[in-house]
Amino acid sequence: MTTTIQASARPGLAGRARVSAVHGFPALLSLVALVVIFGISVVNQPGILSVSGLTLMLMSAVPLVFAAQAQMLIMSVGDIDLGIGALIGLVTVIAATLLAESPLLGWGLLVAIVGVYALLGLIVQKRGVPSIIITLGMSFVWIGLGLQILPTPGGATPDWLTAIGRWRPDSVPAPLVFIVVATLIGWYLARQSRIGSRMRALGSSAPTLQKAGWSLAGTRVTAYVLAAVLIVVSGLLLASQTRSGDINSASNFTLMTIAAVILGGGTFSGGRALPIGATLGAVTLGLITVLLSLMSLSSSLQSAAQGIIVLAVLAGRIITERFTR
Amino acid sequence: MSDTALSESATAVPSTPSTAPTIVARGVTKSYGKTRALRGVDLRLEHGEILGLVGHNGAGKSTLMRMLAGIEQPDDGAVDARERRAGAAWNADSAAASGVRMVYQELALCDDLTVAENAALSDPRPTGLWGWRGRAEQRIGTALDTVFPGHGISVLRRTGELAMAERQMVEIARALCTDALSMLILDEPTESLGVDATAQLYAHLRTLTRRGVSVLLISHRMQEVLANSDRIAVMKDGTVVETFAAAATSESELLVAMGGEVRAAGADVTAPRAADLTAERGAIVATVRAASGISFEARAGELIGLAGLAGQGQEQLLNKLWGAGALSRGVTVPRRRAYVPGDRQTSGILPLWSVAENLTISAMRGISRLGIINGRAKRELAAEWIGALKVRGDAATPITALSGGNQQKVLVARAFAADAQMVLLDDPFRGVDVATKNELYALMKAEAAAGRCIVWYSTENSEMAHCDRVYVFRANRLVSELSGESNTEERIIADSFDENTGDQR
Repeated sequence: MTTTIQASARPGLAGRARVSAVHGFPALLSLVALVVIFGISVVNQPGILSVSGLTLMLMSAVPLVFAAQAQMLIMSVGDIDLGIGALIGLVTVIAATLLAESPLLGWGLLVAIVGVYALLGLIVQKRGVPSIIITLGMSFVWIGLGLQILPTPGGATPDWLTAIGRWRPDSVPAPLVFIVVATLIGWYLARQSRIGSRMRALGSSAPTLQKAGWSLAGTRVTAYVLAAVLIVVSGLLLASQTRSGDINSASNFTLMTIAAVILGGGTFSGGRALPIGATLGAVTLGLITVLLSLMSLSSSLQSAAQGIIVLAVLAGRIITERFTR
Repeated sequence: MSDTALSESATAVPSTPSTAPTIVARGVTKSYGKTRALRGVDLRLEHGEILGLVGHNGAGKSTLMRMLAGIEQPDDGAVDARERRAGAAWNADSAAASGVRMVYQELALCDDLTVAENAALSDPRPTGLWGWRGRAEQRIGTALDTVFPGHGISVLRRTGELAMAERQMVEIARALCTDALSMLILDEPTESLGVDATAQLYAHLRTLTRRGVSVLLISHRMQEVLANSDRIAVMKDGTVVETFAAAATSESELLVAMGGEVRAAGADVTAPRAADLTAERGAIVATVRAASGISFEARAGELIGLAGLAGQGQEQLLNKLWGAGALSRGVTVPRRRAYVPGDRQTSGILPLWSVAENLTISAMRGISRLGIINGRAKRELAAEWIGALKVRGDAATPITALSGGNQQKVLVARAFAADAQMVLLDDPFRGVDVATKNELYALMKAEAAAGRCIVWYSTENSEMAHCDRVYVFRANRLVSELSGESNTEERIIADSFDENTGDQR
């Protein structure tokens, strides 16, 4: 070989940091929004700057963060899950009834949910059914099942689940631990693992993935299965906080998770997955509720405020992208 | 550096000094619907040689290439590979296992993935659960450094952020990230590469063949094929018509074998119908005022060329002319315009539609009344253009069943079938063969003579000889206007570079 090979073909730390900053840039405005909301909240109620204060403030964001990571996985292959909220509600119902009464049946149902998701992925890939249609259809199935098992909110979660919800370490806010764990799982699955890069390749350009010799169906099914597991975890955590089951407890999660992924730099067309961005987006949306109650605004304004913040962040991103180009 | 692709393939292949042909195709046929892509191809690729494969668009090169790589199975005939185990079918898996790699013309990279992740996708070697990323970065980085020293590509960047030439380099380098490379198929690998990178690529292909790797090189650039191949196979109408030793043949001999015309222009194409145009010949139909440099002006009946080095503002001017509305300042354009995009895969064809539907989508005004399309007028219009441009396949053929060159013909026909006063072409002839080009040049001249205004951006300076006037671009400005005697290739090249310093800006 006539050419001399450079000693290090791999880029150094500085180059790595620069590229990460460029790629993670879309999530930056979500971080700005989060800091602003947090700042306003602290000014209104300095008491939240304590372990117990932060715990109360972040608690509602925990199931949402897990659900947002699940939605991020589905969106990375170019699909959208419109049944996520109903399914989380169903998981809380199962957790508050069957999981306590007959654990075997309860766990069996949760595993069956994951199996159904594998089937959904297969149908979307093989039959070309749009994911929004099939998941929207499934959301009605989930609601029907939930109402059948538990027509009115109630039930009681098993002791171990309640214990998870009661866990309150003194040194760190417990929700922060869960949020970090969720982000790490999402980060490993979507960005660090080989299957993660295949999932993003599927969303980015399916023919390329096929030319490289990978199964498109296998990749999509894996994405759906991983998402289903995260959705089940999200539902269990929600049940551990409420200690009861309610099919409608997470109905607003569907659109909130999509908004969180988009806020965090994801795209509808697939190919991108930014786990940290999705977490920031989910926490931002969760905190808006807390902030509005701190400012003693009507809770009916909550959705409007969330919508305005999503629009502001997205508009801000378009403007900043124009300036940086 | 022990786990790099290139040193591995260096040790793995010559250990078995088998000199049997790497791959042999015998009587291979393939049809897509009514289109017969291959009608009995015989081809033999020897151990350690570079075989050039030339032919017009639609001659069956791409189809043959997919057969050899095992991606598609022949309808009839057989593909025998040296590395194939007895009894095993020659499909994509067994081809990959025996070290066959392919570099696609339409680059097969995921825009959202990084260079290293893209390389890992197509790298069949097993990697651990942890550390695969680092290994992939190492491998693709080394491959890039080896083939294209001084490439300046960061393996962490998303391929969507890279320039076309850089993506082409990545596509080539990642094909080398494999164990025991035995056969490398390159489909138009230098179409977007610069001069230096092209030379680096061919130098590296020679080091590969010295190790026993066989290379199949498909290209429209006759000079490159002649200079870098051992043998050259010529394809025409779905068969290999002749095979030459590269040292004992010439460009004109190859062109004759391909059935192409050596003369620059002359194919006679008559435009199916006289365009119904309101503007008179010579009237100014479009202007773009520039703050500095020369302003752009277009008259009816003119064929205007936009020349200069790639990416110096030609596309922006076309976009201005195409996207101009009531609110754009400094731009006047005729109301009806048509546009032929350069990248037919992403913004040209409507892949689910038939040839006729693709062809007539812009001409709806002419063939509909009160918003209802006249089906017969549509079919007649499509048939006229299919006949005039000799598109292979009939009106009802799905557009994706056509070869790339024929798809491009349909796109050009679409623009001219619309009753547009101004037709914009964005480098539409990338990878189109000589005969098709000549037909399209003749069509453009005939249409301009009929009173249309045609604005044509091309990266090939020699094509500019067909134009009435040529604007040369440099650093997003119009730097010169050439016509008649001054419109020469030398002048365009001279004006494309800064005369004062000689540097490209």
